[in-house]
Amino acid sequence: MAQRSTEETLSLLTRLSQKPGVQSTLILSRDTGAIVRTSGLISNSSSANPNSTLPASGETTADNYVNGRKESGIHSAEDVASAVWKFLGAAGSLIDELDKEDDVRLLRLRTKKNELVIVPDPKYILVLIHDTPPA
Amino acid sequence: MESSFEQRRQEILAKKAKLAELKRQRELRREQAGSSRQSTTASPLGEVLSPTPRRSQDLDRRADVDSLINNILGDRRPASTQPGSPAVRATRPTSVVSAGQLSSDNEPASPARSRMVDGETQTVSIGPLATVYESAGDGQVTAEANTQKEVITYSKGVQASIDWTPPKPRGAGGSDTERDESPTRSPRSKRLSRRQKERDEEIRNQLRKEIEEEIKTAQQAPQDGAVASSDENYPFKTLTNEELTAVENSDDFIGFVERSTKVLERALDQQLGYDILADYALDGIDIGDEDERYGASAGKKGRRIKEIAQFWDERWSKKRMVSDLGFSTKFPELVLASYTKNPSAPHDPDGLIQVWNMHMHDRPEYIFHAQSDILTAKFSPFHPNLIIGGAYSGQVLLWDTRAKSAPVQKTPLTGSGHTHPVYSIEIVGTQNANNIISCSTDGVVCGWTVDMLTQPQEFLELTSPPPAKTDDMAVTCVAFPQSDPTYFLAGTEEGSIYPCHRYDRAGAKAGVDGRVKYSGHVAPVMSLDFHPTKGQIDLGDLVLSSSVDWSVKLWKVRPPAATGSGNATLPGATQQVVPVLDIAREDLVYDARWSPVKPSVFALVDGAGSLEVWDINVDTEVPVQSIKPSDNKRGAFANMPTGMGYINRSLNKVAWERNEGRRVAVGGMDGVVTVFEVGQDLGGVETRNEEWSGVKKLVNRLEGHGEGINGR
Repeated sequence: MAQRSTEETLSLLTRLSQKPGVQSTLILSRDTGAIVRTSGLISNSSSANPNSTLPASGETTADNYVNGRKESGIHSAEDVASAVWKFLGAAGSLIDELDKEDDVRLLRLRTKKNELVIVPDPKYILVLIHDTPPA
Repeated sequence: MESSFEQRRQEILAKKAKLAELKRQRELRREQAGSSRQSTTASPLGEVLSPTPRRSQDLDRRADVDSLINNILGDRRPASTQPGSPAVRATRPTSVVSAGQLSSDNEPASPARSRMVDGETQTVSIGPLATVYESAGDGQVTAEANTQKEVITYSKGVQASIDWTPPKPRGAGGSDTERDESPTRSPRSKRLSRRQKERDEEIRNQLRKEIEEEIKTAQQAPQDGAVASSDENYPFKTLTNEELTAVENSDDFIGFVERSTKVLERALDQQLGYDILADYALDGIDIGDEDERYGASAGKKGRRIKEIAQFWDERWSKKRMVSDLGFSTKFPELVLASYTKNPSAPHDPDGLIQVWNMHMHDRPEYIFHAQSDILTAKFSPFHPNLIIGGAYSGQVLLWDTRAKSAPVQKTPLTGSGHTHPVYSIEIVGTQNANNIISCSTDGVVCGWTVDMLTQPQEFLELTSPPPAKTDDMAVTCVAFPQSDPTYFLAGTEEGSIYPCHRYDRAGAKAGVDGRVKYSGHVAPVMSLDFHPTKGQIDLGDLVLSSSVDWSVKLWKVRPPAATGSGNATLPGATQQVVPVLDIAREDLVYDARWSPVKPSVFALVDGAGSLEVWDINVDTEVPVQSIKPSDNKRGAFANMPTGMGYINRSLNKVAWERNEGRRVAVGGMDGVVTVFEVGQDLGGVETRNEEWSGVKKLVNRLEGHGEGINGR
């Protein structure tokens, strides 16, 4: 498909993070678990690279997010990252037990407050947390 | 008597002293025994315990413990006399080194580590511990690796019964010597051997108790350990700026973002439709306003039209007009839209195709570019990945959804192909043998194969038949019948429609067949569409044409063979054919298309921005449905003053979903693509026989009527 430049690729992420209801997004590297990019999440470690946060959505969502953060109980990008990492590992071993050749392709985890959508890829993991639509 | 008393007393004293000495000796021995026991319990424990916790839970623990104890106590003698101890010693330095490395690495799992510490306090050699370290150290960072390694560690730990020999040669005097004496001691005194037995039993019990305890804690350890180690091991690695840019510029990353964000957008859009977790018992879901959309003209439910999606992209759709639309036959949820150039963005490519997905509303699935405005484009019906388009420059372009946004093939800008804008493209033939037929406004028709666009396979120049003042024929659109790919109709700018042949045939040369002319339109013909016959009755000769003369006309075309024979009597004379049905509209009609499934239904779009769905079985004068796209998506003209509203709303193109005929896409001047869903009576695969025969009867009646009036 279209070969996009880096800016355009990142604008895809920005746009995704600005869709209605989306609280935060997070990209992890699959093999090391390093946080590549986040939006709508607060980093609690001072050593975190400031560039790893999406600049476009950084300021705007940060304020809104403080509220969302309290009610959703999510603390920081690192917490989410490690929780997702763990969860993905568990899901992976579950699938492994069922069928060695199978692989996890999409995880949707619905909670009372929001939903996590996790797209694992061979090299990266994209996580999105959004409000469940009012039903 | 006295002496005997004295003697007796001395005897007693001596006895007492003897007793005391005996007591002292016994005490001494007990002390020795105590210390020996301590060392015997401690040293095996220290070694055995560290591996056992790792032993998997599914084994019979009791049996393990017993066998372990038996191992320890039973094998003690042979083990101690084993000549292997030097070898064990020899291995030790390396393991110590590895332990040192590891501790500096700080990586081993915490439970294993704490156990080591325990072991060391219990005067155990570090030999076996080092072995444990070694294997645990092999494990990499991940928690899974750790748990796996733990099993391995255990199997190594079993060797502890051998390994624990090192303390013996190294161990300090007393306890060891006594232990070695034990075999020899047993014949010496029964009491001692009994005590030995008792002691053994005691040791056994104590060992069992401690091991069981240790196992218990070890059982908990995996859980705690996993959490702890994953917390500890979770690499909160912070990427440096260089790493970050490297990652972000990698093709892998770009591809991943492309893929995954699409998946997420689909996931989010899908959710908007229906919440699968809805609990109707808790509170009513609002179904309310759905019916309002159908408008006052809703009438019968089966004829309703409902807007289901609108596609517009701020970045790409802006200031562009929709020039063509088409659904994919393989993936009915994909809608292709081609666009003209954005005059205010000279750096963007002029030509644009966006492939929209019904399940992803805010973003196109694919974007394709071209150097020149794309005027027409469609999915290849024979290959789901290919998109074929015609450009203002006269090029025919081929894109592949598996490739990048640039066309994978295009025709050259030379005289061998088109030199005028290509407004019409058809893909004719069968799965195995198909051709692209393109037609430009100068009347040139070219045939291409999908494999090679460098040279046209066929080249045909359409010229106006004799009565016309000039030879030039400005073709606006072409249409092929379902049954015959060698014959087609060409609509022109002056309003006439001519039948054309691709090849020379009996009685007619390739090119325009001048003997028949379908005249009726007085302004450029905007679209031609043959009836898609899939039913019991062949309606393949019905053609729908639309024109900017504010009308839609229904024609019954003469079969090419009959044309030939009919003309044999009147050579040179042009036979004028009039439409069987003339439907006048209130605005310019830009496009009209048959429903792919319902024989009597077609849709048209007009300059006023309405989509009209007609059912000629129901009514030939008014549409059964008329609807305008909503203003939900702000198109290119959204900011213009309201006086411009007329232009702004105009719709250029209409396309049916080909498989089920339930969806209609429309697009126009403002660049917004809107998809509607039609009701049961206007779409859907079930058709009744009456519908087909109804159309046949209607056409027959109209034909008779038309001929009676003799061409109004």
